Amino acid sequence: MSKRHGILLAALLALPLAAQAAGVRYVMRVDGLACPYCAYGVEKKLKAIEGVERVDVDLDRGLVVVDAREGVVLTEEAMRKLMKDAGFTFRSMRVERPDEAAVAGEPAA
Amino acid sequence: MRNPMRRSPAALRAGLAGVLALASGAVAAHDPVFGLGPHVLYKGGFEASLKWHEARAGRERERELGLELTYGITGDWAAGIELPWVRVEDGGATNSGRGDIQLFTKWRFWRRDGLGVQESAAVAARVSLDTGAGGTPRVGTGATDWMLGLAYGYESRKWYRWASVRWRRNGDRGALDRGDRILVDLVGGWRPRLSGYLEPDTVWLLELNGEITRRARLGGATVADSGGQEWFVSPGIFWTLRNYAIKAGVQIPVRSDLNGAQASTDWRALLVLEGHW
Repeated sequence: MSKRHGILLAALLALPLAAQAAGVRYVMRVDGLACPYCAYGVEKKLKAIEGVERVDVDLDRGLVVVDAREGVVLTEEAMRKLMKDAGFTFRSMRVERPDEAAVAGEPAA
Repeated sequence: MRNPMRRSPAALRAGLAGVLALASGAVAAHDPVFGLGPHVLYKGGFEASLKWHEARAGRERERELGLELTYGITGDWAAGIELPWVRVEDGGATNSGRGDIQLFTKWRFWRRDGLGVQESAAVAARVSLDTGAGGTPRVGTGATDWMLGLAYGYESRKWYRWASVRWRRNGDRGALDRGDRILVDLVGGWRPRLSGYLEPDTVWLLELNGEITRRARLGGATVADSGGQEWFVSPGIFWTLRNYAIKAGVQIPVRSDLNGAQASTDWRALLVLEGHW
């Protein structure tokens, strides 16, 4: 099997998985996250948003990772305010879409 | 014991409970056990703390069980109430009942955040209402007392440090001017293992707490057996799991310079169970 056929086959096999995992991931850099107990407010506020399914906090790298259903839009302005209300400082955000990464034949980040 | 004056009128004696409640300030898990810290609560958050503390000085012993409720008004401003129940022993006499209800607020006016680091400063105010049961030995201070405080804190993944100063304005009780108090605190903290967000987290603390009390005045005359200063070294711990916390510490006196005939503090202890939602 040629390399091109292999990539096409991998993409076709990944499509059903991508469909099941359809959604969007937001990865935010947040400053001030020194302790787990204090960071709970971030989780609580994010989970109050309709469509947010999972929130992970990486204290050492200052990352808040949010997995949400497709169609859920988190803007930088809204996240800046949310983090301020939680007692922290929002720095930046990037969006990752596992389904788009799968179609391109690349591993989802 | 703030003023356990054997040779002074019984009216001068003030319950430890009121003293300790004002001394410890609003309880927040990642703040010192006995000192004041700059921590507040996230906007819309609700925190409940059940705290038990005990103090001994000579023949006197006080125990207090308090329920503290706090609400996050904004991400930098919180307010709450404390409802204490107190038991006092003085030699063979005992008394118990409702202590002085406390209202408090804290505003974090400065914050600087970095990767895994938060540095901040806050002002705090607390009023202790004259709601204690009274009686003999007295439960409650018998007056309305005020506290103003300023706190600084540095919190990182590994190390903590705090510094605070508080001024307690003791209300007069009839002709008695009870003497104000200044409290100063220096605290260091250490997290031996960097835990993940959903893992149990442990921080060890060591505090230096100082209390400097002005002499009392009765009818314009200075009360000899009043005022002075006490200094404590206070080891403590806080242990948290997600949104629940246990906090504990003991104050060990290292220097006591009280005027006249006053029993110095033997020790004090504080245990807190806390959660926020």
